[in-house]
Amino acid sequence: MAGLAGAGGGWLGSEARTQYAAMATLRWQMFRNGLRSHKGAFELGARTVSYVLYALMGLGLGTGAGAVTYALTSNGLWRLLPIPFWMVFLLWQLVPVMLASFQEQFDLGILLRFPVRFGSYFLLWVVFGLADISTILGVLCCTGIWIGITIVRPELFAWTALGLAVFAAFNILLVRAVFSWLDRWLAQRKTREILGAVFMVLVLSVQLVNPALHRQRRQAHAHPQVYASPADKAMAQAQAYQRTKAELKAKYEPWLETADAVQKWLPPGLAASALGQVAKPQSGMALGALGSLGLLGVYVLAAGGVLAGRLRAEYRGENLGVAPGRKKALRRQGGWILDGSGPIAAVMEKELRTLLRTLPLLYAIGAPLVLAIVFSAAFLRGGGPEGRPFPLALPIAVVYALLGFSQMFYNNLGAEGAGIQVYFLSPTPIRTVLLAKNLFHAALFILVAFLAVVMTSLRLGIPDGATVAATAAWLLFALPMNLAAGNVFSLTMAYRLNPGRIARQRGSQANALGNLLAQVVVLGVGAAVFGLCWLFDSIWLAVPIFLTLAAGAVFAWTRVLRNADAMANQRRDSLIATLMKTE
Amino acid sequence: MAIAAIQTCGLTRRFGALTAVEDVTLSVAPGQFFGFLGPNGAGKSTTIKMLTGLLEPSAGTIEILGQPFWSGALELKRQIGVVPEGMALLGRLTAPEYLRFVGRMYGLDRETTNRRTEELLDFMQLANETRKLVTDFSHGMQKKLAMAAAVIHGPKVLFLDEPFEGVDAIAAGMLKNMLTGMINRGATIFLTTHVLEIVERLCSHVAIISKGRLVANGSIEDLRAGVTSTLPGAEREQRLTLEEIFLSIVGAGGQQEPAQELSWLA
Repeated sequence: MAGLAGAGGGWLGSEARTQYAAMATLRWQMFRNGLRSHKGAFELGARTVSYVLYALMGLGLGTGAGAVTYALTSNGLWRLLPIPFWMVFLLWQLVPVMLASFQEQFDLGILLRFPVRFGSYFLLWVVFGLADISTILGVLCCTGIWIGITIVRPELFAWTALGLAVFAAFNILLVRAVFSWLDRWLAQRKTREILGAVFMVLVLSVQLVNPALHRQRRQAHAHPQVYASPADKAMAQAQAYQRTKAELKAKYEPWLETADAVQKWLPPGLAASALGQVAKPQSGMALGALGSLGLLGVYVLAAGGVLAGRLRAEYRGENLGVAPGRKKALRRQGGWILDGSGPIAAVMEKELRTLLRTLPLLYAIGAPLVLAIVFSAAFLRGGGPEGRPFPLALPIAVVYALLGFSQMFYNNLGAEGAGIQVYFLSPTPIRTVLLAKNLFHAALFILVAFLAVVMTSLRLGIPDGATVAATAAWLLFALPMNLAAGNVFSLTMAYRLNPGRIARQRGSQANALGNLLAQVVVLGVGAAVFGLCWLFDSIWLAVPIFLTLAAGAVFAWTRVLRNADAMANQRRDSLIATLMKTE
Repeated sequence: MAIAAIQTCGLTRRFGALTAVEDVTLSVAPGQFFGFLGPNGAGKSTTIKMLTGLLEPSAGTIEILGQPFWSGALELKRQIGVVPEGMALLGRLTAPEYLRFVGRMYGLDRETTNRRTEELLDFMQLANETRKLVTDFSHGMQKKLAMAAAVIHGPKVLFLDEPFEGVDAIAAGMLKNMLTGMINRGATIFLTTHVLEIVERLCSHVAIISKGRLVANGSIEDLRAGVTSTLPGAEREQRLTLEEIFLSIVGAGGQQEPAQELSWLA
């Protein structure tokens, strides 16, 4: 066996080290070769800009976490220390879902054809995730917490670092374990459909539960009081605040105590507890802190075990494509969903079927809708001048709904895969295909925007006619503008969307950055017009302005459609190659 | 003189400094089963991509059924069917959904599309897999589905890039019968494959491409006669197989001298 690296040794043996070096070289060569094309070079530039933005975001979040921790610990409020830990935990676990489609991923499954030990495979799996955005943000937040505590209690420097390191290890392993299992379930059609249905029910439930919860509050505001003077008003408001606070405390304190008792035994609570107990001078507390840290270590091992279980199955060559299935029914499926035999109906029907089977797209549509509902609560609490609901809440809710469609608008060929060739082979022009996709996406968006409007209205009351008209006029501008820009990006910076995965998606930083810039322009114009008209108390004025802009946007959209075939043919090779890429 | 089903003149495709296909001029008569052969990387798939509108030629012209062909020649595209290299399948659809989609993209009406879909699924023995997503199909099943999609609109010219790869013997026999039937009804088939026995059995004419250039073109008998005439006297009596003709024209490449063998292999 001359020439073989030493076959002995474990996951740090000479063979494993050779393999790690080969992987590092492979990554470097892939990166270097990617720069050969203009697109690759542009990707690098976009990625650099994105990482700078994420770093700034991370520094902001880290500073915030540090400031909160400093404020709590300097005031002796160690019992509230779990709050920043829970925030960091949620950030760490949720960011990968939100940014999954924008991150470049490398599928380590290709290693399985080589004689790689399981330990090495596991290690590579963990190490390759260390440069992702959630880890960067999480580590920066942990650093902020560490600095916050160290400033107040310098003697806890080392212990805090240890506690945070264990907490970080738990988060890294947990997020990877969760997504590896999600991917495994999504690889099977049955579980994919179940998860999709559960997800849709959750999205709808959140929307239905929220208005019910806030109905009582709306009723309370239904009969506004008249006060003799501003001082009377202020006093009445202060009394009402104290009364509400007392009521809330009486009502929710038992719940909070129960929640606190539970969270203490969960990782963020344990990490906070490990630091909080060692900060107290009582005897026995240090032992308690050690116990908390030890328990946190058990969680780390458990998360690692869950991840290892999944990877072990992959390592053994589990084939998800032929995962155990039930006996298939032999009955034929029904006819077409959308009537009409033309290609527009065909593409629209195909889009609908694909959407219903593509969880990342369903998620992208649903998640911002949930956010719209959550954020409208802020307006409910804050309100506008003189206690009225914030009048721009409606357009803002619609904007959130629009954001969910950005992936669909700006990468509308991404889910085609090898099927992209059908469009070039068939006698249907690409502009017809894009027109059908645009019509379908626009119809879907209008449905979602309508839902957002209904939910916002239920929570904040029916907006005045001027706001509704201005929002509708803005949509007439924003929608064709997004569709036009989306068509251009879809043809020039497409990336393949893996419909069975939420995590480990292959994204395109260039597409994401271009998408962001286009959204900034569309939203910026909208915000400027709305802001100015609101400032001058003439929201109606926004309608003709937006309608004028809409005419320009529709013109741009038709121009793009007219040129779509030329653009597609010019980039046909790279478009087909990109969307067919499987590695 | 009959109009050629496929006619190329000086067809060339360059990728930067690399010339993948250079000055390919060939003519395929209507009703011909035409085999397009070549070693790996010779330019077969690149040629077929140019002939079907998936790739723009750097130079040269293409005519299909006597009309200039380019990516925007939509009416001509109705006359051709293709099984491309990547099969052009949509993984998130079931087989009937995909076939109905393709049928409508080619402008077939609802009734015809549904009827042909049923027939094709039965013919391709995929009728029991109508609930399964295409992405969950085996490679052979995907090939059969790609073949079904290529013929659903009844093309006059069919381009097949490695259609038998990964297909079992039973299905391969069935596909061969279908293709022969199409030829008998006047269709033209342009086939690339590495399985030379299939070409020898099905095709009447072949062209061989090597390093991007056409090195042979004609009927199998003409090529056989050409190669045989170069052999020493005693060997001229034997009937050469297509594989021997192919190796003789392209160059064996695999006949290594002992010193050039891979020393570490047992």
